[in-house]
Amino acid sequence: MAVTGVGAVNLGQLAQLYRAQVAGGVQGVGGTAGTDAAAATRGADFGNVVKNGLSNLENLDRAAQGKAIQAATGDLTDIHDYVIAATQAQTATELTTTVRNKALEAFNEIMRMPL
Amino acid sequence: MFDALSVSGTGMGVHQKWMDALSDNIANINTARPTSESAFRARWVVAQSIEDGGTGRGVQVAGIELGSTEGRLVYSPDHPLADARGYVRMPDIDLGEQMSDLILAQRGYQMNIASLDRVRASYQAAIQMGRG
Repeated sequence: MAVTGVGAVNLGQLAQLYRAQVAGGVQGVGGTAGTDAAAATRGADFGNVVKNGLSNLENLDRAAQGKAIQAATGDLTDIHDYVIAATQAQTATELTTTVRNKALEAFNEIMRMPL
Repeated sequence: MFDALSVSGTGMGVHQKWMDALSDNIANINTARPTSESAFRARWVVAQSIEDGGTGRGVQVAGIELGSTEGRLVYSPDHPLADARGYVRMPDIDLGEQMSDLILAQRGYQMNIASLDRVRASYQAAIQMGRG
């Protein structure tokens, strides 16, 4: 950690210093390394849940639109198929909206906590 | 995700096919054929359950069976298709049986719709509970 002089600052060394300091700081606090890892996995799981939910919703919506086109052109032999596809898409949309609202509410609740 | 909705959908599909077959039978109840050919054969829809080891996936049409070829020999000598002795072959379809089957098919279709409504209302109630 040799400081060469005020005029000649080595940026590479500064970056290494900064990185070493950050790494040292995290390990220094102790138990937070474990909770950070747990929080990271929880965050990744919830993110996956939301992603899967949205892709499922997109598939249901696409299926409903396909059935609607078939019904309009007269190709639909089973008329209840369109209604069922539309109901599934609508219920999935409402469920996704409710999940988002609840997650947002919980996040705001935590952010409002006085520290 | 919404298995109960798809299951009700399959039920409605099979009952609709049944109604199609029944209306075809009723439409052809007076289809006469010469005695040299087989009579108009009634259509029977064979329903088969879709098994998946769990709560089941509904029902599907396994096939369409045809009824008897004998028919009834009816004496009508003025008929253009009558044979030398004056007989034509009419289908052996009992109209009363077909009409009561039609009522069964209609009620089955309505029951599947009722089940779908109940399931959809339950899902909506669950989402409303999450909203409050």
